[in-house]
Amino acid sequence: MTDLARVHAEEQAPLEGVIKGEVMRMYQEVAEHPDGEFHFYHGRQAAEMFGYERAWLDRAPPGAVASFAGVGNPHLRSRLQPGEVVLDLGSGAGLDSIIAAWQVGPTGRVIGVDLNPTMCRKAEAHAAAEGVRMACHEGRMEDIPLPDASVDVVISNGVINLSFRKRTVIRELFRVLKPGGRLSITDIVSAKQLSQSIVNDPKLWAS
Amino acid sequence: MFGLLESAGFTRVRSTIVPGFAFRKESTRDAAESYGVKAVLLTAEKPAT
Repeated sequence: MTDLARVHAEEQAPLEGVIKGEVMRMYQEVAEHPDGEFHFYHGRQAAEMFGYERAWLDRAPPGAVASFAGVGNPHLRSRLQPGEVVLDLGSGAGLDSIIAAWQVGPTGRVIGVDLNPTMCRKAEAHAAAEGVRMACHEGRMEDIPLPDASVDVVISNGVINLSFRKRTVIRELFRVLKPGGRLSITDIVSAKQLSQSIVNDPKLWAS
Repeated sequence: MFGLLESAGFTRVRSTIVPGFAFRKESTRDAAESYGVKAVLLTAEKPAT
């Protein structure tokens, strides 16, 4: 890291901490009060908007569906196969993990990683209620708590945009994937540099 | 994000826009439109060797 980059990182560190807290608060709020009002569509309405199969949404635990807060449908291109190991980065209340677990079957494995330990426990409970294998690890996407070359596929839904260090996140995805592994992620991008007033607003950044 | 994936070493990087994505609140939607904010589906592979 250059001196300039180090100074920039040090200046951003307090803001990054505040935003991390706001991200945890907002997505826990979606999970605990899915009938609330948010900047984004969520729950079954959002999942149907993005082409999730109705049969999936009927079968999945209602709590996982109601708390869905994705921005698209990573399953459209994930091509999951029985026996594969899947990382669901930012697994939230667990809907995408459960759908992935159905596809990889009992010989496969789904690992969730989420910043919020409460969400991890919630996702695991939803997966257990559905009778599928899913283990969730509390951790940061900039420092994924998994060994090198340990997963076949990464899925993620509306999470990486929340990081201040996207380059580091992408490097981590590369690290944990096995050679020949693949990713299918949906996320938010912007054509223009966001204004500093947006970057400095934890509520806007988190949404 | 596309460029970050390529520079990290991923190959066969593909990006498609998620149809129908929008923010629910009008004020957020307007701000997002002014910045060209979109949802995308990205796929990529880690080389086998």
